[in-house]
Amino acid sequence: MSSSELILSVENLTVGYNEELISKINLEINTGDVIAVVGPSGIGKTTLLRTIAGLVKPISGDIFCKAPKRGGIGYIPQKLGLVRHTSVYHNVDLGARSGSRFFSEPKTWFKRRSERVTTAVERMGLSDKMNEPVRRLSGGQQRRVATARTLAQRPKLILADEFLSELDEDNISIVLDAVKEYMAASESAMIIVEHNIQRATEISTRLLQIKNGELVEYNPSEMKFDLDGGLI
Amino acid sequence: MNRALKKIIFTTVTLSVLCYIFLNDLLQGDWSVLSASWDNLETFWNESLWPPEWSMLEARKYPECGSSIGFFCSKAYIGMLETLKMAFVATIIGFTIAIFLSPFAAKNLTSAWVYIPMRIILAATRSLPSIIWAIIFVVIVGLGPLAGVLAMTFYTVGYLGKLQYEEMEGVQNSPLEAARAMGLSHPEIVANVVIPESSNNLLSQLLFMFEYNVRHGSILGLVGAGGIGFYLQFYLNFLMYKHVMAFIVVILVVVIIIDLMSMYIRSFVTEDGDVKRPSWSTIFLSPNQAKKYHHGKSEEE
Ligand SMILES: Nc1ncnc2c1ncn2[C@@H]1O[C@H](COP(=O)(O)OP(=O)(O)OP(=O)(O)O)[C@@H](O)[C@H]1O
Ligand SMILES: [Mg+2]
Repeated sequence: MSSSELILSVENLTVGYNEELISKINLEINTGDVIAVVGPSGIGKTTLLRTIAGLVKPISGDIFCKAPKRGGIGYIPQKLGLVRHTSVYHNVDLGARSGSRFFSEPKTWFKRRSERVTTAVERMGLSDKMNEPVRRLSGGQQRRVATARTLAQRPKLILADEFLSELDEDNISIVLDAVKEYMAASESAMIIVEHNIQRATEISTRLLQIKNGELVEYNPSEMKFDLDGGLI
Repeated sequence: MNRALKKIIFTTVTLSVLCYIFLNDLLQGDWSVLSASWDNLETFWNESLWPPEWSMLEARKYPECGSSIGFFCSKAYIGMLETLKMAFVATIIGFTIAIFLSPFAAKNLTSAWVYIPMRIILAATRSLPSIIWAIIFVVIVGLGPLAGVLAMTFYTVGYLGKLQYEEMEGVQNSPLEAARAMGLSHPEIVANVVIPESSNNLLSQLLFMFEYNVRHGSILGLVGAGGIGFYLQFYLNFLMYKHVMAFIVVILVVVIIIDLMSMYIRSFVTEDGDVKRPSWSTIFLSPNQAKKYHHGKSEEE
């Protein structure tokens, strides 16, 4: 594996809306990192991701992102953010559209996009649903569409908000395998919000817990659990 | 008594009392006007309105009718067809202009620097009733259907624009955020996320606007802006109300047909349409009855 390079650096960041939710955030994220953010409901995990994605203004502090502005960040919102009335193809194509350059070779743009879409949809096992409106898919299938959209985008940084919840074991492994495969092939990083701490330690290389309005970093391999999956 | 019921009763009583007070005010306390007017209506209806002058639906004497079916040469058909054409053109052009403007008027899509001026522009085109626009355009381009089309287009832009930006503001936030995080441009997001997400309501607004323009097209004729209104105005001038009534019946029938068509067209995008499209035979049934009917049928297939 090539040496890792810096993708995202966060300095003294404070996030929140009217009130501060998490403060004194300092982070450096390199290619190959899979960072899990854990913490109780309502603590500000989604807000942190939205701030990194550039959707919410930080209260203070700086975010430096090396990923390109267009297509560099792939965000899978907690509510998935799919266009419900259009087909699976159209939704996944949104990712492909942002991720594939138009100006480098305009003539092949549509072809390159449709190849990305087909590959990603196949990988998620949804080929037979290609032209189905998203609203007609099951909850788990919709999650896979959202993952396919990000895979087709091929971003440098994936921000995934609880994207494994509501999935059964089979689907979790389909989605996780595909994402890991992508991470291994491309030089990218990922931040996952995950409320299940045990799973978070299994899939991440670094673990961040939000405690008393600050981020605390753990090494997942050193974590121990009680029988209920809680942190000791 | 539970609180919800109390609230409903309170609201009903308050509104009724207010209506009574305002109406009493408008009539200046003289309620006898109402009882007299009922008699007037009865006489008017029996002597001047009914039956309509159905000859308006037969071929005109001049020019010679080229069709074997006389109706196609009647004043009602010719006038209605012109109104329908005017309404069609104005609705399509107005919708197209509005759909380009409304994303700039939606709060969730642009900044206040853009959406406030855009809203003022839309409100301005809407603040004049279509008949005033018609008078203005009759002055500018002269008597005839073009003035009517322009008047309707202006009004349509203002009206549909408002409905559209309100619809766009109602679009769920999370698809917008996913698209923004990806770095898609504003026009890309509008075309690929916002419009598809609100397509159902945009379509029903379009169809409603067409129906509205057909009805209003009938009025625009009063100021010489073409269509069936030309005949309405003509016969009204001569107090020939039975003739007028025939045209009104034609307008009513056309409006009902458009309404049924819009129900059918919208079923292609609604979630209910996923179950089964309404057929002509079930369009008058309540949704539940229609569902039963369709279920029985689809099991046979
Ligand atoms: N758009 C908003 N404006 C103002 N406050 C908000 C907004 N969105 C969320 N909040 C508040 O910010 C706090 C943190 O919300 P956030 O969605 O980040 O929590 P979370 O950690 O993701 O929770 P969960 O695990 O339930 O998803 C909550 O108290 C919420 O009410
Ligand atoms: Mg959340």
